Amino acid sequence: MRATFPYLGYDTPAIRAFFDCIGAEVVEPLPVSKRTVELGVRYSPELICMPFKVTLGSFIEALEAGADTFFMAAGARRCRFGYYHYLQDRILKELDGRCRMVPVGQYSPYDFFFRVMPRVFEVSPWRVMRALRLMLVKSVLTREFRQGLNRLRAVDFGRAEELRQPTYEMVVKAGTPAEIAAARRELRRTFATNGDRPEVAVGLVGEIYYTLEQGANQDLELELGRLGAEVLFERSLYHHLRYLLGVDLSSYRSRRLAGRYLRECPGGEALRTVGEAMFYRRRNVDGIVHVFPFTCMPENIALEALQKFSEETGMPVLSLSFDEHASPTGLVTRLEAFVDLIKRRKRGRRLHRG
Amino acid sequence: MKIGLPRALLYYRYGDFWRRFLTELGAEVVLSRKTDRVLVQDGVTRVPGEVCLPIKIVAGHLAELAGRVDAVFFPRLVWQEDRLYGCPKMIGIVDIARMMYGSAPRLIAPAIKGGLFWPHFRAGLEVNPNPAAVLRAWRRSASLLRRTEVEPSLPEGERRVALIGHFYNIGDDYIADALVRAFVDRGYRIVTKEELPRRVLRSRTGFAGKIRWTYERELYNAFMYLKQRVDGVCVVISMGCGPDSLVAELMREEAERQGLPFLQLVIDEHTGTAGLVTRIEAFVDLSRRRVRAAA
Repeated sequence: MRATFPYLGYDTPAIRAFFDCIGAEVVEPLPVSKRTVELGVRYSPELICMPFKVTLGSFIEALEAGADTFFMAAGARRCRFGYYHYLQDRILKELDGRCRMVPVGQYSPYDFFFRVMPRVFEVSPWRVMRALRLMLVKSVLTREFRQGLNRLRAVDFGRAEELRQPTYEMVVKAGTPAEIAAARRELRRTFATNGDRPEVAVGLVGEIYYTLEQGANQDLELELGRLGAEVLFERSLYHHLRYLLGVDLSSYRSRRLAGRYLRECPGGEALRTVGEAMFYRRRNVDGIVHVFPFTCMPENIALEALQKFSEETGMPVLSLSFDEHASPTGLVTRLEAFVDLIKRRKRGRRLHRG
Repeated sequence: MKIGLPRALLYYRYGDFWRRFLTELGAEVVLSRKTDRVLVQDGVTRVPGEVCLPIKIVAGHLAELAGRVDAVFFPRLVWQEDRLYGCPKMIGIVDIARMMYGSAPRLIAPAIKGGLFWPHFRAGLEVNPNPAAVLRAWRRSASLLRRTEVEPSLPEGERRVALIGHFYNIGDDYIADALVRAFVDRGYRIVTKEELPRRVLRSRTGFAGKIRWTYERELYNAFMYLKQRVDGVCVVISMGCGPDSLVAELMREEAERQGLPFLQLVIDEHTGTAGLVTRIEAFVDLSRRRVRAAA
């Protein structure tokens, strides 16, 4: 068995750690590129949402590299995401009859530990728990990597980009909990900003795949960093895992805050999008960037709530919807305009205060 | 008290029941006018651009009611029996309505989670504070909720086409009238899922059991039931409809496997009738030729 999973931005090494720890042979997915998206679009139904197309592209690339067992998050609820694996399974089977899709039900930890994973890998539930623990520990590291990188980019973009590759390699290499702890200390040293504070801070909210996957969202964190804006984010693999294990308090906070606009969860991450935006406002963030795939159902409802929120509080909100035709130039122009607006507002406010 | 009912979305299934229920409670029911171009264009400006046509239409209806009524009755379908969910936008449009209205008119939006009785009972109390009166109104109107239990008669020799689409699209003349007429004028009988018994629509066999959207499961079951019994299938999808984008794909595969003529029409607010009718003509020709070839 040669296992693979969809690429997930800087959190990919954490997922990889899970499979390594469980003792599976892994075909590492390639970073999402133009080709990934094109492949995905070619084999997908026309009207389906973008994460389906991109993850399918990621799978097809892994199939070419020799993978035969595909792991995809599942769990059918209100949003389309839970159904991806049915269609992807059919499409992959048409391409290669020998391959197999393993849907990983997100909402039943019991099945995950005691049924799905032990059966697929023929290991004990104990081993699965150990692998998950390692993934959790490593996802803290990948999250800190992204946080540190985003902050340093806003302060000293050139140095951040120089340090990015070597530091990321260190993150990828850290394999045991002790190595991960050492890597975290090292990370804090390399990404230290010596007290320099970025001029602008924006909060990133939106659909989980598009907030995490740089290849899909055209690396807007990089572009914002280049413009001198630090990107704060809550959404990460670490938080998602904690949420699935039922120990993520921030999801309750988001639900409570978002209740002002949305009383019922439309599914997906809509409540978190709105709740996090409101939370960032309390933390004195200068603006909100909201990303989601084209025709995403829950995020379109959240978009309406965010617009109302922006009207009521004066918080600048930039909503970006991505499809296969999204162009990097268009994105950069919009981000530039957004950051300019924020900077001008801040300066204006400072002048008024005298 | 004047209570407004938007003539869109769930109205096409529960409208008669709601009208009777609210009238029995002593309210004056005001319906929004039938969907027309002006109303759609108004709706488009009130919701994000990427949502589907029925949501844009209902936004228009909600806006139309705004100045004319004291309250708007707009229940929210979260889930029904068997944990079958409404779609995210159907759940969220109620919050959008609340944001749109502010304090007036009042929004009476009971959340349906499971059975229909309790949400309607609570909503009834908001209209008429006497619980006995609410119970009486429920008893007098609940018969309108009953759905057919008999299978439709589909005689031999008749030319039929299955029109698979959500009831709020097929029921709305603005969207579907031209489609239906195009088929009827060419001698076809239209069969929709509304004519099928509950037993068929709620079936859990095969992929249907895995679909967790209540109306999507009905659509899929209707398709599976009708595919043996019709000369062609026409699926009507609104652009941006999430559940349909998935399930229609499975239907297409199934129809192709059977060699059944399959027409997928994607509609949005810019769709012109002329283009649709041309495609229907081509589709009808194709299915006729197929019948002749088989004979």
